[in-house]
Amino acid sequence: MNVTARMIFVLTTVGLISGALLATVGMLTQERIDLNKQREIEAAILQVVPGTQSSQTVFEQDGITVYAGSDGQGNLLGYAVLASGTGFQDIITLMFGTNPDLSVISKLTILDQKETPGLGANITSRDMFLKYWDNKDSVNPLTLHKPAVRTAGELGPGEINTITGATISSEKVLQIVNESLNAVKNLNNEGKLEKEDKHGR
Amino acid sequence: MELLMIFISAILVNNFVLYYFLGICPFLGVSKKIDSAVSMGLAVTFVMTITAVVSWMINHWILIPNKLEYLQIVTFILVIASLVQLVEMFIRKISPPLYQALGIYLPLITTNCAIMGLALIAALKEYNFATTVIFGIGSGVGFTLAIVLMAGIREQLDVSDVPRPLKGAGIALIVAGIMALAFQGFSGMIK
Amino acid sequence: MAAKSITQEYLKGLWDENPVFRQLLGMCPILAVTNAVINGIAMGLATAFVLVLSSLVVSSIKKLIPSQVRIASYIVVIATFVTMADRFLAAYFPPLSKSLGPYVPLIVVNCIILGRQEAFSSKNSIGRSMIDALGMSTGFILALLTLSSIREILGTGTFLGHQVLGAWFKPWIIMILPAGAFITLGILLALAMFIEQKTKARS
Repeated sequence: MNVTARMIFVLTTVGLISGALLATVGMLTQERIDLNKQREIEAAILQVVPGTQSSQTVFEQDGITVYAGSDGQGNLLGYAVLASGTGFQDIITLMFGTNPDLSVISKLTILDQKETPGLGANITSRDMFLKYWDNKDSVNPLTLHKPAVRTAGELGPGEINTITGATISSEKVLQIVNESLNAVKNLNNEGKLEKEDKHGR
Repeated sequence: MELLMIFISAILVNNFVLYYFLGICPFLGVSKKIDSAVSMGLAVTFVMTITAVVSWMINHWILIPNKLEYLQIVTFILVIASLVQLVEMFIRKISPPLYQALGIYLPLITTNCAIMGLALIAALKEYNFATTVIFGIGSGVGFTLAIVLMAGIREQLDVSDVPRPLKGAGIALIVAGIMALAFQGFSGMIK
Repeated sequence: MAAKSITQEYLKGLWDENPVFRQLLGMCPILAVTNAVINGIAMGLATAFVLVLSSLVVSSIKKLIPSQVRIASYIVVIATFVTMADRFLAAYFPPLSKSLGPYVPLIVVNCIILGRQEAFSSKNSIGRSMIDALGMSTGFILALLTLSSIREILGTGTFLGHQVLGAWFKPWIIMILPAGAFITLGILLALAMFIEQKTKARS
């Protein structure tokens, strides 16, 4: 066999074997990887819209995904909104829950962030930040209470506490929530949040 | 506007070398002289821009439509390796002095994590085409900025009295650390 | 070449030819994933998996590959194992896979791996290549462990997530920032160099 033919032969064989191996690994793991993603979303929905028995995607566009959470009888408990935006350092992905008419934010959870460890990264801490998001009046855009207070009781109905030393990260989270909430409210007014398709899950 | 933000953040806030730690080998290896640092930076920026374009096309036109995402790593690395070969031949042809200056480091761009990292991060963040290209150019400029600044400092270090064990990589890494700290100051400037 | 004993072949990766401290290879992962010990361990094991299996394959097929296409073939072999490691982590350890992010796929461009294939596995027997790969992996894991322990303990006061320093300790946030990675590694390299110079001076 001359050298060129041998080169082509070897490369093709190596490529084919590797392709076959990868296809097998790809198929074997794909299902689990999808399942992991789905589980993560479901766990987050259950967290922000407590009591959810079944959820379905009602809207998905422009980086905002809205899930409707219902109880066992199919009554709407609230919406879970998945949104992301720029933080202090990199993209922050979060999810918050609302009541059915979008007038109250029930809870907030952070899914992904790369803020400064020890400072901005505290947006994932329940004690330092997330607990101040429980049951907030969201008829008007939420505002940040600066400087930080010590107890939730000192905050107004639409006010969020700031993390000391991480004002920008706190502001960014607030901004993402306000913007996406506004978008979802508009969708609701246009009637686009009706549970149009039942085939979600 | 969003594109401008991505561009600036790729240069300053999420600098490839100082934030993602990509391209450390050339960052330490080719940063002894400003001239060669500039050429290395330009070569990387050039390859990065092409890589951004090509990897996006492969990912969105071939891999994703056919559900072949698991082939990303293999295809990206092969494409990058061939691209670098082309660039190498190109530079050898048009500018032998430049080729001489970059010497061994041009082939090393193949195993330069910055290029592969660019393709992977752009795919991971699901950037669209325009964003990917801007991200590629910005990252290249960011790399150039970091390596040229580093070379400037190291030219000064050459004439300073550095303790013997710290000479070379040791002091270079500590300088890089101080630079990373300075670049940290740019975080949050992207509104 | 004077044949080394098997033990020497293994031990050289730990210090004399330690990929990180002596050869300055694999800098990207060593800086990027060492903000927590668990990330360091995961990255070390993933790299070891890829390195050992690639060495096994390359040393067994070395005679079949024409030298013109050897690098391309090695890259395909390495990329195949990297993809496996990446998919495995994503499927069974999703939180780890998320915190390591693009750095698992980036093992493919880790100079240690291609370097060992080119410098060692393509010229030595299967057995020796495996020992060499194991030694290099151990050396790499040691480096990851050292750096990540220092950074996690000083940066958060924890080790593998368990509090090890008392409440009196105010975490040095800089240690888990990129700057801390560079500075700590710089100091460790200087230390390695210092020890090496001292031993040389003595002998």
